[in-house]
Amino acid sequence: MAKARPGNLKRFYDVNGWLFVAPALLLIATFMFYPIIRSLVLSTFSGRGMMMKFVGFGNVVRLWNDPVFWQALTNTMTFLVIQVPVMIMLALILANALNNPRLRFSGLFRTAIFLPCVSSLVAYAILFKSMFATNGIINSTLAGIGIIDTPIEWFTDPFWAKTLVILAITWRWTGYNMIFYLAALQNIDKSIYEAARIDGVPAYRRFLHITIPMLKPVILFTTITSTIGTLQLFDEVYNLTEGTGGPANATLTLSLYIYNLTFRFMPNFGYAATVSYVIVLIVAVLSFLQFYAARERS
Amino acid sequence: MDNVLKRVSGVALAGACVMSASAAFAGEITIWCWDPNFNVAIMKEAGEIYTQSHPDTTFNVVDFAKLDVEQKLQTALASGTTSALPDIVLIEDYGAQKYLQSFPGAFAPMDDVVDYSGFAPYKVSLMTLDGKVYGMPFDSGVTGLYYRTDYLEEAGFKPEDMEGITWDRFIEIGKQVEEKTGHKMTSIDLNDGGMTRIMMQSAGQWYFDENGDLNVTDNAALKAALETQAKMANAGILYPATGWSNYVNAFTSGNTASVITGVWITGTIKAQEDQAGKWRVAPIPSLDGVEGATHASNLGGSSWYVLSSSDVKDEAIDFLNEIFGKDVDFYQKILTERGAVGSLLAAREGEAYKEADPFFGGQEVWQMFSTWLNEIPPVDYGIFTNELDTAVTSNLQSLVQGKPIEDVLKAIEDQAKFQIQ
Repeated sequence: MAKARPGNLKRFYDVNGWLFVAPALLLIATFMFYPIIRSLVLSTFSGRGMMMKFVGFGNVVRLWNDPVFWQALTNTMTFLVIQVPVMIMLALILANALNNPRLRFSGLFRTAIFLPCVSSLVAYAILFKSMFATNGIINSTLAGIGIIDTPIEWFTDPFWAKTLVILAITWRWTGYNMIFYLAALQNIDKSIYEAARIDGVPAYRRFLHITIPMLKPVILFTTITSTIGTLQLFDEVYNLTEGTGGPANATLTLSLYIYNLTFRFMPNFGYAATVSYVIVLIVAVLSFLQFYAARERS
Repeated sequence: MDNVLKRVSGVALAGACVMSASAAFAGEITIWCWDPNFNVAIMKEAGEIYTQSHPDTTFNVVDFAKLDVEQKLQTALASGTTSALPDIVLIEDYGAQKYLQSFPGAFAPMDDVVDYSGFAPYKVSLMTLDGKVYGMPFDSGVTGLYYRTDYLEEAGFKPEDMEGITWDRFIEIGKQVEEKTGHKMTSIDLNDGGMTRIMMQSAGQWYFDENGDLNVTDNAALKAALETQAKMANAGILYPATGWSNYVNAFTSGNTASVITGVWITGTIKAQEDQAGKWRVAPIPSLDGVEGATHASNLGGSSWYVLSSSDVKDEAIDFLNEIFGKDVDFYQKILTERGAVGSLLAAREGEAYKEADPFFGGQEVWQMFSTWLNEIPPVDYGIFTNELDTAVTSNLQSLVQGKPIEDVLKAIEDQAKFQIQ
């Protein structure tokens, strides 16, 4: 211990070591730390375009009183609370089903379910738009089998517009999460399942009491990445609503609001930076809570 | 040796003289704009005409979506990377003051070159800031009511029945059209503020008053505009469009019996050649019981702006002035080919403006549009049109569902107040 310290210090002052990492450090500093700090500074300014004035905490006060911000935050949280659990459950069930060695064409199914998340965003938004249009295939199918009388207003009714966004992101990202579970499932020792089967444990209990606990770290990982992804939700709502976040701001997310504040409205870069820091804060808090909830109790 | 040197330097000197003579105008002008069938095609046409008299000037017309033009422009201006900017950019009229005021010095004033007295005054005032005029006025968004005579005839209406009507009458006609033909009267995208803006401006009002203060709760024209749209939605004569392409598809596919929008849609309507002769144009309906209600309004329209960072700034201004500022023949060409109603007043004396169009059953549509152009009530768009548009569209739905208009206007004002700081 006593010897290690001067050794570490020597290493600290070794120029060669620094030279090796310098390029990487420089790049990280320029492209990560500088923007982070600069945007934090920016969030204390407010004004029209380039006419910025220092306002201190003015933007935070404005944020607190801004009904549109609260609406965007509520929408984002609604998407998060409903969509992420649904998607994680769906991905787990699908992964479990596709992991069945007796299933034929499993490669085909896996590809089909994974494919949405590598498809072009714009293409799929256009597809969804035509499918869910007033006279689109979804409404005519639902009417055809007698579920609905009048077409569902997917784009003009606030409730259905939210539902549509949830459907769209679930369709796109379930396969992505499923791949993580499939990979993790391959690593579970088959003898555990064999032992359970011999003991007469039914399939759903094997899923609940063996598969899910064994997948816990992966579930934690996917939950956190999905949470971050949903909090930054932008492309889907932007493309589906032509950037309006409509109807009635029902699909306005925080990221779309940031976009509007920068590009659609009178540009206020400072206020937009403040809103983006709200996302950073929420991501940090939620990730911490998820790690805390999933920690290994000794 | 000495001789060679002399000769070389002589050639170089001669070369330099030639260079400097044409150096003033020998560059590539980069232009950003949207809509390949309209702005982009027109700009390419303008470039070709200019190149004939200035062979050293070349043009690079870049085609983006409108939102992308705005986003790229704003990002480059904000970051100060002028090398990323074009030389000329197209800006929609609603956003002109926003750009001029929030990026001071970014655009080149042109009033020492261009004679602005030849243009429609409302266009020039949109691009004036602190006594300086920026930009070259381009197309007008004068509005009209385009309708299908075949559908209306089937429902028992003649073209005379469509002239000078009110919105209430329009709804009545729409109900009969729906009943007799099964076609919806028109389509509106309730997530888009366009129809609200058309109706409001037709009565000479805007989201702001002449002092730039919010004008929402006491705005009779806005109130009537919103109520009319809700009435149409509830009367079942409306095809609820979702997004621009769906909106366009509603009338190009023969689904709806009419469309009310800016004159720039003419090209899109005429592109449906099988519908030739079936369409007519009438003035837009007026708002019932609103003071100053007219049959003329405006939707959109845009103008060209030169970036002051451009290294071919003078050349770009000269180009705009030569073609868009003076060339009356050019305006005839883009009118017949693209349906572009420019705002150079002299252009309206040209031949093309007097022609009858067989597509519209021989109506002299351009003459009609230029008459209406003069009747558009001038309003000051200010700098917060997008903010107010968003506030309106996010509350219009609740009006359709039965929320009292006073509450809706209050909600619009509340939302707008926080967005326009």
